[in-house]
Amino acid sequence: MHKPVYIAPLSLVTPLGNTVGQHIEAFEKGVSGIQIFEKDGFQDTPIALAKRAEISSPNRYDQLLRGALEKAKEQLASKPLENTAVIVSSTKGNVDLLPGDTFAETQAIIHEFFPETDVFIISNACVSGVIAINTAADYLLAGKYDHILVIGIDAVSEFVSYGFQSLFALSNETCKPFDKSRNGTVLGEGCGIVLVTTEKPADFAVLYKGGSSSNDANHISGPSRTGEGLVRSIEKTLKRSGLTAKNIDFVSAHGTATVFNDEMESIAFGRTNLDQVPLNSMKGYFGHTLGAAGVLETIMSIVSMEQNTLFPNLGFKETGTSVPLNVIQRIESKELNTVLKTASGFGGGNASLILQKQS
Amino acid sequence: MSDLKENLKAQIIEQLNLEDLTPADIQDDAPLFGDQGLGLDSIDALEFIVLLDSNYGIKIADPSEGKEIFQSVNTLAAYISKHQ
Amino acid sequence: MKILAHSYVCPKGTYLNGKRVFDTGEEENPFKSAYQQLGVEYPKFYKMDVLSKMAFIGTELLLPFLPKEVDLENDLQLIFANSSASQFTDNLFIDSYEQLNNPSPSLFVYTLPNIVTGELCIRHKWYGENCFFVEEAFNPGHFSEWTQIGLNKGNNVCLCAWVEAKTNGEQECFLFLLTDSEHADNSIELELSTLIKQYRNE
Repeated sequence: MHKPVYIAPLSLVTPLGNTVGQHIEAFEKGVSGIQIFEKDGFQDTPIALAKRAEISSPNRYDQLLRGALEKAKEQLASKPLENTAVIVSSTKGNVDLLPGDTFAETQAIIHEFFPETDVFIISNACVSGVIAINTAADYLLAGKYDHILVIGIDAVSEFVSYGFQSLFALSNETCKPFDKSRNGTVLGEGCGIVLVTTEKPADFAVLYKGGSSSNDANHISGPSRTGEGLVRSIEKTLKRSGLTAKNIDFVSAHGTATVFNDEMESIAFGRTNLDQVPLNSMKGYFGHTLGAAGVLETIMSIVSMEQNTLFPNLGFKETGTSVPLNVIQRIESKELNTVLKTASGFGGGNASLILQKQS
Repeated sequence: MSDLKENLKAQIIEQLNLEDLTPADIQDDAPLFGDQGLGLDSIDALEFIVLLDSNYGIKIADPSEGKEIFQSVNTLAAYISKHQ
Repeated sequence: MKILAHSYVCPKGTYLNGKRVFDTGEEENPFKSAYQQLGVEYPKFYKMDVLSKMAFIGTELLLPFLPKEVDLENDLQLIFANSSASQFTDNLFIDSYEQLNNPSPSLFVYTLPNIVTGELCIRHKWYGENCFFVEEAFNPGHFSEWTQIGLNKGNNVCLCAWVEAKTNGEQECFLFLLTDSEHADNSIELELSTLIKQYRNE
């Protein structure tokens, strides 16, 4: 067994607010950040999006990043960190920098708040967030750094909206993960930061037990019909964590609300004996925040553990997957000691990690 | 109609990057999708929708309609003739 | 750690372990030419973006050097990086909706740099771990760190790549296979720096 690695939420900026506390309130009230925007779709058509009203285009990415970094810095003010690195998880960076490099300014912005930190950027589609946290833990266990800030971030843009529209992957109303009437995903934006560290934090933190990624080896944008990659990742993560499916109290799934993704996930959870474990997707609250998703949803999973609360899967009314899952439909109290987070993404990627309360 | 079909074959090759094929390789009634066909996939089906709009001004709102329309060059040509 | 083999693909030519194997300098479509000279049958090649095409060609040449005793299906890790993410295809995608008035789905799916690793996993049935990093420049020290971390986790061989396609015409793919070795080898970083320099000067 390796030395303990802790994860603690530092900041969270999305349409639902700019503090973790505001997000807890939103989740408790079942508030969604999703709205219809009449002209944001291609050729001025209506499109459902989760956009933060307090920021404006262009350079939404920069505003989200600075907003979250500022809050994170406040959180850490009393305990400046040494031997620290930063890992950024983002699918696109700032698309307003095209035709140039979309990540060209990322390091400089981070150095405004945390100067002289080594900055790594992971761009691996929608599994980036989970992979970034896994990579942070790997680096700490290798003794390269003592602390790593993992930043998950993506911003809404015409580029991505038009792209998903061309794939017919978007719902014109809202996100209904695992529901029978689900008809597509909804894009969202946000920036979340967690501290991954070998030093026990003063505030609430959980242990990182293990993680992994796996490729479907099937199709570059469609998920494997048998959930192959997700199954292999879940099994590898359980093995690396020294745990079995029986230990898992709650699953924070990917659940994008497309017909194919959710079906694939249900098959994977069935194959790994997780279909009866209380499960949600948080996409109904956040929309699909792409490179930010893994981090935002890990933050709210940690919150769930701190409060021993299962938050409902917004948008779900009736089972719509061939393997029925134990989808959380109302707020419930439950002792949550061990949690599995999963993610799947374009390029056939799948990733997972396990969090556990400190004893 | 046969001009339309020949044009379609060239357009399909260009739109879908089927660089190893010539129009002569595509039979009028050959299935375009599936293992028996040109091995086209779901993304190719979406590119067909773009092709119909860009080249013929025909808009398809629901990709599931595509299954019938894009079965072969024959069905595609018939659909275009009907809707132009 | 040791380098089992390396390859380099760019418009000028394709190289394996330091020797040129395909000359494509005069070709209008250099990667199509390299693919045809490769002599494999994989029609999906033609749909790929530039990053994937280069990596496909370079990886095919490395296949004979993959260790036979490793469970390649599960324990081969892909660690790729570049400085411009999917810039080349990003700009083509923007053209498709700004100039051609129809956002192209087949371009959009390649506007993520990690699709490269996805294409290779599909071709070779590799189900292991993948990660794509965006870095300022080729940093062999980082590749060495990432690989060592992977080896420690049980990923017995690592296919690494620096694969870049920029709108200004810069296109290159440097691929190298890394695995554990009995001797502590600190010269990997120097070796990799030297190799990419040599290839770039070809």
